[in-house]
Amino acid sequence: MVALALPAAAAIAVFGSLYGAAAREFLGVPLTLASSLLVYSGALQFALVALMSAGATTLPLLLTAGVLNLRHLVLGAALRSRFESGPLRRALLAFFLVDETFGFAVAAGNTAEPRAVGAATERTLLYSGLTLYVAWLVGTVVGALGGGLAAVESQAGAIFPVLFIGLAALAATRRSHVVRALAAAVLTAAVALLLPDLRMLAPVVAGVVVALPGGDR
Amino acid sequence: MSPLVLVAIALITYLSRAAAVVLLPRPSPRFETILSRIPAPIFASLATATLLGDGGAPVGGPTLAAAAGALLLSPARSLLLCLIGGAAGYAAGVLLG
Repeated sequence: MVALALPAAAAIAVFGSLYGAAAREFLGVPLTLASSLLVYSGALQFALVALMSAGATTLPLLLTAGVLNLRHLVLGAALRSRFESGPLRRALLAFFLVDETFGFAVAAGNTAEPRAVGAATERTLLYSGLTLYVAWLVGTVVGALGGGLAAVESQAGAIFPVLFIGLAALAATRRSHVVRALAAAVLTAAVALLLPDLRMLAPVVAGVVVALPGGDR
Repeated sequence: MSPLVLVAIALITYLSRAAAVVLLPRPSPRFETILSRIPAPIFASLATATLLGDGGAPVGGPTLAAAAGALLLSPARSLLLCLIGGAAGYAAGVLLG
């Protein structure tokens, strides 16, 4: 599963370089590098750059961080039941919780023997998290220092829908999961069209809304 | 943005990640059942979100073709096959576009 994180890592390095190039104008090189080192959240970091380019002050930046990070509560809750280690190790693993690593960890747990679900989930979150983290940092350094991978941006961007479709297929272990996944996709598209400002929160909101009703078949 | 604001944002981000993973007790079986239903819809939603640009407009043809290729092979429930399907779809999209 970690080997399958490599295409995602390559794409993330490309986007890291785009982030580095865009952010250094507003943050300077040292803070741009520090932001990727400490925050490690592509969606949030790009949103912050967009806000800074529009002249946003501190409060909107902090509010945006709070709102965009809400989805981590749902992802963390969904992983919590699979973890078996103590709070210290879970606190370390939490740093690597991003959309993609959540997917790899869930997929690894789903394909593991029942008694090995915890170990497989935690190991995959750690190794895929480290892989993507290094890729994000390397990309940021390249972009911040003036290098550019913009020429392959469109190829890199195509990896994410493919990756998430594959992860959805792996996570859908019952027919009802497939139905819920389709409903969530439709709901997300509707939110993106009707309420574009909420587009970045839509996936998690849709995921929770369709998970609540009914039973499993 | 000052270094202090950056540290505050990093803290907010880390705490949002750690809150459920570290502080939440193991969920009850009923809650666990609901949580187990969440991943597939979230991934399907994330796939949809990455296919829609600003204002809900679809992304370029090759990316849509890549998604179609992955979707075609998704019943196999193999991430590797989905990546291969995506690559083939992307290549087809470039050739036809």
